[in-house]
Amino acid sequence: MSERINFKYQGRIDTLKGKKKLQTLEKIKVEGLLDEDDYGRVVPPKDHWNSISNHPDGSFYGLDGWTNNFCDLMEHHPVYVDPNDAFAGRWMYFMSRMRSNKWNPDYPYDHLKPNQSKYDIISGIGDDAHFSPDYQMGVQLGWQGLLDKIEHFRTINNSPEQIAFYNAHERAILSIQSWIKNHIVAIEHLIDIETNPELQQNLREMAEVNRNILSAPPKTLREACQWIIWYHLASRTYNRDGAGGQIDTLLQPFFEKDLAENRIDAAKAVYYLACFLINDPIYWQLGGPDENGKDQTSEISYLILEAADKINTSLNITVRVHDGMDQQLFRKSIEYLVKNKNAWPRFSGDKALVSGFMKNGFDAATARKRIAVGCNWMSLPGMEYTMNDLVKVNMAKVFEVAYNEMLAEKNSEKSTKNLWTLFENHLKIAVDTAAQGIRHQLKYQKYNEPELILNLLSHGPLEKGLDVSDGGAEFYNLAIDGAGLGIVADSFAALEQRIELEKKTSWDEVNFHLQSNFEEVNGERIRLLLRNSEHFGHGNTLGDSWALKISTTFSEMVLEESNPQLRQLFIPGLFSWANTIGFGLNVGATPNGRKALQPITHGANPVPGFAVDGASLSLANAIALVQPGYGNTAPMQWELDPTLATGDHIDLIGSIIKVHFEKGGTLINVNIMDKSEILAAHNDPSKYPDLVVRVTGFTAYFSMLTPEFRQLVVDRILES
Amino acid sequence: MNGQITHIQRMSTHDGPGIRSTIFLKGCNLQCKWCHNPETFSSKPELEWLSDKCISCQTCLLVCPSEALSLQNGKVAFEKSLCTACFNCVDVCFPEAIQKIGREISPEELFAEVEQDFSFFRESNGGITFSGGEPMLQLEFVKETLRLFRQAGIHTAIETNLNVPWSWYEQVLPEVDFVMADLKLVDDHIHHNWTGASNRQILQNIINLDHSGKTYILRTPIVPGVNDSQEQLEPIFEFVSRLKNIQKYELLPFHPLAASKYKNLGIPNPFEANLCIPASKLKEFDELLIKYKKDNHERKNKL
Repeated sequence: MSERINFKYQGRIDTLKGKKKLQTLEKIKVEGLLDEDDYGRVVPPKDHWNSISNHPDGSFYGLDGWTNNFCDLMEHHPVYVDPNDAFAGRWMYFMSRMRSNKWNPDYPYDHLKPNQSKYDIISGIGDDAHFSPDYQMGVQLGWQGLLDKIEHFRTINNSPEQIAFYNAHERAILSIQSWIKNHIVAIEHLIDIETNPELQQNLREMAEVNRNILSAPPKTLREACQWIIWYHLASRTYNRDGAGGQIDTLLQPFFEKDLAENRIDAAKAVYYLACFLINDPIYWQLGGPDENGKDQTSEISYLILEAADKINTSLNITVRVHDGMDQQLFRKSIEYLVKNKNAWPRFSGDKALVSGFMKNGFDAATARKRIAVGCNWMSLPGMEYTMNDLVKVNMAKVFEVAYNEMLAEKNSEKSTKNLWTLFENHLKIAVDTAAQGIRHQLKYQKYNEPELILNLLSHGPLEKGLDVSDGGAEFYNLAIDGAGLGIVADSFAALEQRIELEKKTSWDEVNFHLQSNFEEVNGERIRLLLRNSEHFGHGNTLGDSWALKISTTFSEMVLEESNPQLRQLFIPGLFSWANTIGFGLNVGATPNGRKALQPITHGANPVPGFAVDGASLSLANAIALVQPGYGNTAPMQWELDPTLATGDHIDLIGSIIKVHFEKGGTLINVNIMDKSEILAAHNDPSKYPDLVVRVTGFTAYFSMLTPEFRQLVVDRILES
Repeated sequence: MNGQITHIQRMSTHDGPGIRSTIFLKGCNLQCKWCHNPETFSSKPELEWLSDKCISCQTCLLVCPSEALSLQNGKVAFEKSLCTACFNCVDVCFPEAIQKIGREISPEELFAEVEQDFSFFRESNGGITFSGGEPMLQLEFVKETLRLFRQAGIHTAIETNLNVPWSWYEQVLPEVDFVMADLKLVDDHIHHNWTGASNRQILQNIINLDHSGKTYILRTPIVPGVNDSQEQLEPIFEFVSRLKNIQKYELLPFHPLAASKYKNLGIPNPFEANLCIPASKLKEFDELLIKYKKDNHERKNKL
């Protein structure tokens, strides 16, 4: 399609890209390194705004605390307008990180802390967002429509608490409108001083777009994009919400209306979409089936890919792969992946996600609506509260607890059978502890951090006068992820193979070297014996058997926490996000030959270097094998060999993606990184300001990562 | 009948169409001095010594009956000529610095090992490829194994040097979808010097293959000092131009990537000092090939 477009906006796009590069450098300079998404955020002016405390501990909590802070910030928020951009606004403030404490101490969970610490559980208590709004609702209603909705339900649900709830949401919308107005004033000022006629005209149109959507819902593609940006920037500012939606179907009606009314051509659409995408690397899904299974690809799906190619920055676009998909879109998406080697797009596997989610009792139509809109996660836009990607059990730590207990009991038989029993017991306690943490959040989060902005585009909170965390949502599909699968599977396999089957070493010898971190005499030899045992990932190995057993057991334990009476469904996944280093720092040497404090394995991935050759196929097989299978993901983090990533191999890469999904895979994140380039960038990141890596589910500028995390990414790529 | 293989390379993309598993068989009846798979020269299992993996724990010295392994300047050293191939050392070398190259495998075991990748083969129109070494030297094993894969609907290919009697191919080709072979040199004397064998059978087999109706491609490895000259290449191009049914003919540049293999196996490497063929030179040969094809086409048209 790109060949047919006479794209006259490249100069503006280049200017925006250049500016973004400078903004990234400034972020590093002012705020330091960060193992997180780029977010498209820019540094706010120094000391421009500070949060307002409403608690003796100096933090702010509850409906009043959050509403007052949000409205005050919106009132004082700096404006951001660039004449080269199609849209106004940029994200600047991390309001949720401007607190001294993220959980209201009036609602303690001290009873959970011992086990959270013992099993190294990330509880998610006090964490926010991580479910998706329904943008469709937003672009249909506009700000005034949302105000009208509040007004309507305030007359129905009129307890004092509910009145306060509605008033808070009303104030939030009014403050967002005031923020937009401030931008309109700024745009009008720029119109007066802009000397370039084309950019001046662009600013005039930008001002008109913003005036049009100040109250009314958007009517054009540009208005729809700008509306989504305002909502999203408000939500990002409030609590970092980064969820996207089905971007092509969301924008398609506006694009087609513009086309029919001769308001737009493909080039202009690509320009708008490029500006839309550079604003923030939100998790958008592209393609995939509608609720009846029919593919949703349209012309704008291609234009979105093309716009992404034009900016080619940090992007989080996911292409949904299913049987009836548009093969041309699939191929095009791989072409861009290979051409740019910038870790986008990602790929989401419809078959296993839909069939897995249906196992929870949902019908196919609902399951198909659950789309890839987060780092590793799926969501029914506007319909569920999930705590996706917030709650994690470090299974490597659970293993360590079990292993130490077995060794401490003098009369206990030392065997993998006994170790497994102990591991199961402790994993059960760990999963239950994680679930109890989620229940605590559901009970008290409204007093800690109500979801003021996400409530607006959710189905239920405004209708019921209840926060989305407090019964307002339609569904509570609560995520618990397991981390460190590869470490645990390989540890069990190494013990079974080397001690029990081959008798090449003994429990005492392994234990001695674990305690000394393999640093005593003969330690390295034993470490290598253990490390070279039958890995998870190599196919039909002991490690594969253990990995499957661990994943299945973990999944069953998570599912058992569900309570239909309370509408609480717990769904298992395998994901570690960027916690691989932190989790590793809490675990000593492990029997798979891993030294103490080294990172744990990434998500469902095997230990790096697990396969001598054919690693791509091994990975695709292995990760499909261990899928929990209930609609949440266990992503395949794929470090694709750059020698394979050429234009000649588009179909081969496509084959691997399709087969992984056919075998049960759910999500593929891909890096294509030249080994010498990543080493050079690690050595001097400042020389590679444009280098983007897909760290886990998210992409980040390599130069923004901490040295520890850069090392992790480098090791992963070198050993792939 | 069991076979002797060195290894199974998964995700192979250069040994036929699609995603393939290439099975490298042990033993070859040519000894090309530039070969990049020297571990397949011998049909018997042998030791490979990966010095960079050795941690000098010296455990191997305790079990070596022949002093092939010894301590030199605090480091373990390997002398291939003294090795009796008992493989005692392999079992005690936990860092896997000493590895046994070559393992016996049955057709059923091989099938089972490769089976995990069938979905990738089917999706990409790939399959399996027998390579080597010379797979045709293990005729019965290859025949039986190919049959198993064919029965499972898997695309099959062989990479062969064509240096066995045509009657052997007649037994195997019904189970083969695709053939890859080299045309290294046309001059028989020079061919003998570099490979240790005459090429008469090879050239005749290429013609037979051309008449067989089987899909095949030919490649010429461009090797420095062997055939990287117009003098050697023109007769090759001339020969190829007479083939009627060849699917593809290509020039492959010599690469020195096998240097470490020679070192690890303790085999002298005659091409140790050679570098890659420069891209510019390869381009010259490609242009020569194009010119030859064009001239030949015009010549045929005149006739």
